[in-house]
Amino acid sequence: MLNTTEAANNKSAALPLPWPFSRSFAISLASVAIFFLIWQIAPALGWVNGRFTSQPSQVLVAGWTELGTATFWNAARISFTEFALGFALSLAVALPLAALMVTSKIARYMIDPPLMALYIAPSLILLPILILWLGIGMASKVAVVFLGAFFPIAVNTMAGMRQVDPKLLTMARAFGASRSRLFYSILIPSALPSLLTGIRLGIGRGVLGVIVGELYAAQAGIGYQLSTYGNSMRIDLLLVYALVVSTFGYVLTEFVRLLEVQVGKWGAK
Amino acid sequence: MPQIEIQDLTIEYAKPSSDQRFVAVGHVDLTIERGEFVTIVGPSGCGKSTLLLSVAGLVELSGGAILMDGKTVSGPGRERAPVFQDASLLPWRTVLGNVRFGLELQRWKQDDIGERAMRFIRMVGLGAYADYHPHQLSGGMRQRVNIARALAVDPEVLLMDEPFGALDAQTREVMGNELLRIWSRDRKTCLFVTHDIDEAVFLADRVVVMGREPGHIKEIIRVDLPRPRDEAVLESQAFADLRLRLRRHLAQDMASMRLVTEEV
Repeated sequence: MLNTTEAANNKSAALPLPWPFSRSFAISLASVAIFFLIWQIAPALGWVNGRFTSQPSQVLVAGWTELGTATFWNAARISFTEFALGFALSLAVALPLAALMVTSKIARYMIDPPLMALYIAPSLILLPILILWLGIGMASKVAVVFLGAFFPIAVNTMAGMRQVDPKLLTMARAFGASRSRLFYSILIPSALPSLLTGIRLGIGRGVLGVIVGELYAAQAGIGYQLSTYGNSMRIDLLLVYALVVSTFGYVLTEFVRLLEVQVGKWGAK
Repeated sequence: MPQIEIQDLTIEYAKPSSDQRFVAVGHVDLTIERGEFVTIVGPSGCGKSTLLLSVAGLVELSGGAILMDGKTVSGPGRERAPVFQDASLLPWRTVLGNVRFGLELQRWKQDDIGERAMRFIRMVGLGAYADYHPHQLSGGMRQRVNIARALAVDPEVLLMDEPFGALDAQTREVMGNELLRIWSRDRKTCLFVTHDIDEAVFLADRVVVMGREPGHIKEIIRVDLPRPRDEAVLESQAFADLRLRLRRHLAQDMASMRLVTEEV
């Protein structure tokens, strides 16, 4: 239902193309341009101390050189690996668990309360413990990403699976479908719109987990670089890394949102 | 040996939020021969759908037994294919994908599945719609896909629970004719639940009339109308007589139902 309306909204919003210059697009563009202009000239005019704010031109130059260095790619590789491992792990655990909770009442009564409690609590609470248990290497970050992404994925997938049409399950069983077949041929596709919503929320929490984890205690990674450049007052480089992180999160989230729209079309009556 | 033997079948449900048990089907005996088309009619609540689901192996029996070719039915099996009232198509799969689904579940050889699915899609007249999704189809077309999915797995028995129940009268008649046309090719055993008397007589070799509380068989009527059947059959005297007989049976049931409601 939600996805259908979202899909419809997207469609109507996409119809008047932002190019050539619609009014709203022109205004957005102008506001961004003005922001960069002020940021660029503010230190020169003495409004702010350039040492603390840097300038768009400096960030651009710093970015150009930094994105070609081994330092950057090494940090990116480590952070991305932590993110990908943690995320894959959370999917691998959340989906079967959600199916178990939907099909078994006992499992639901057992798991539901702690699951909801942990879903609401920010998983970063556990960061100090995870560092103690798993050290300051990659393992603790993988665990933070796992905890961050797991709960939104599990809770949303479960909600989606509860919406499954029981008649589809009956049909598949009549054709002799096994339990595992019901899981990946009926339950997962039925829950896919909600599952994708969970993944989208999970991406945000996962990215946050990696960066905060590395800021808190690490030897390498994007967050570690952020912390290093912050300590040495390299605001330009710090902003380059910040931009990389937000671009990564944004692109991934938008990609999932596009998938959600596609999936929403199935339900269109 | 009859193909399906239902012996002293009893099915009870626990009534929700009470200790009482509701007897949906009580002590039913029925035998069905290979290649027979048997329709089951009765008022709502007579257990006709439950009876069909139990033959599909989807309901736990409280008593009695169901035998397929002499072997006890203990669950769904590939020799029985369902066609239920709701087309139950997977909304994320195309027509082709949905017909493939049954074949995939029964582990047909991957190379044969696509071709076989297409053959049955063409058989139900949807060759041009193989790439459509269910939401793009009319109710009648969805039921055709439903039937194609069941036929494609080459079952020995088709279990049909009011497959045309949600269709308008005209589509329903067309679908009935189509079903007979397809059925007459290889005469698979058909167990067909309906509440439509005309449909029950038109399709059947035998009509099983069920009554309520608990669900039981009141009478089994043999339909000796010649095959192949067409619209002319509907106007024959023999058809009219059978129809009247069935109507009387069902009217009795309706009358007793009215009494019950008045008592309450």
